[in-house]
Amino acid sequence: MTDQIREQISALLDGELASGEISLLVRRMERDAELRRAFGNYVLAGESLRAPGGLTASPGFAARVSAALEADGAAVAALPVAAKHAPRRWMRPLAGAAVAAGAALAAVLFVPAGEEGGGLLADRTDVAPAMTIASVPPGGASPTPAQNQRLAGYLVAHGQYASPIGRRNAWSNALAADPGITRVALEIVERP
Amino acid sequence: MANFPPSDGSIDGHEPRDGRERPASGVEQSDLELVRRVQRGERGAFDLLVLRYQHRVVKLVARLLRDPTEAEDVAQEAFVKAYRAIGSFRGDSAFYTWLYRIAVNTARNTMASRQRRPLDYEADLSESEQSVVESRMRHGDTPEAAALSEEIHQTVNRAVEDLPEDLRTAIILREIEGLSYEEIAAAMDCPVGTVRSRIFRAREAIDRNLKPLLD
Repeated sequence: MTDQIREQISALLDGELASGEISLLVRRMERDAELRRAFGNYVLAGESLRAPGGLTASPGFAARVSAALEADGAAVAALPVAAKHAPRRWMRPLAGAAVAAGAALAAVLFVPAGEEGGGLLADRTDVAPAMTIASVPPGGASPTPAQNQRLAGYLVAHGQYASPIGRRNAWSNALAADPGITRVALEIVERP
Repeated sequence: MANFPPSDGSIDGHEPRDGRERPASGVEQSDLELVRRVQRGERGAFDLLVLRYQHRVVKLVARLLRDPTEAEDVAQEAFVKAYRAIGSFRGDSAFYTWLYRIAVNTARNTMASRQRRPLDYEADLSESEQSVVESRMRHGDTPEAAALSEEIHQTVNRAVEDLPEDLRTAIILREIEGLSYEEIAAAMDCPVGTVRSRIFRAREAIDRNLKPLLD
């Protein structure tokens, strides 16, 4: 029985296992560390034959990645949602704007257009880091298209550094200030 | 704006589209099956993709970073990004192509964050550069990893040399020449089922030699 399963693993590695057999095999492998080990060694043997002498991942590497994913529970939970709302895929990187981007937002809105290079709030120690769009005086002027462009750039660029809460807050604040920011940011994300 | 990728780890938020239909290999189809399972919430399927591509990604990242000591950390980050973004993978390209782009981008971000000169990943390394990098990887920065890698290579080669001729031919045609089972069956004039069995038995023999080395 085990040999039969391991032969299936070998065939899976070569892309020669029937589609209908994959699901059960994957579930077995999920439960059985020895089967995963065998799969890993089959891969290693092939890599070693094809490209001898190079660096290979250390024996515990795959387990560390698995542990990192396990610890990253939010990402696992987010997968079905992402698939369900596929048309909104573009919003995920946008929604990933950081707290820092929130600060950048304030800088974009408050720093005069002529003040090039000094606009990033992060560079200004005299400004409270918690400042957000909510600080804009009521009735203040809407951001210009150029400001929107810069802001969207900051949101996108800083998205990858954000905590989930920070990303949500920063993006919510930006949307509250000017819903049109989504269009500008979308253009940036889709730019080749 | 800085040339950062979106937070989902892809370079431009899209899979590459070359506009051409391209037949998927058996391995690509198998990867796609695994990806679909991950997208449906089967985490174990992603673990298999990591096992399959870990060596290639670590090797790639080590070359880009020019620092093998960091390679595994960055490769791990790339896999985590890939997992987070896998909901957007549609199968227009091979999974490894998509993963490769994420790994390259993650390595570039690492270099950018450390104010290093990024290596131009579009152009491959020249032979002399490659030789230097590989030499460092083998003999310089990570002696233990290099020694293990060399030992693995020797063990695998010895195991292959010791195989009966029919198993040795089958595994070489598969792993080095990249032939499908059907092509190997034609070359060796035997049924596909026999090819599958021979390749499996060859791998088992190699595994028996590798196991004590890696446990």
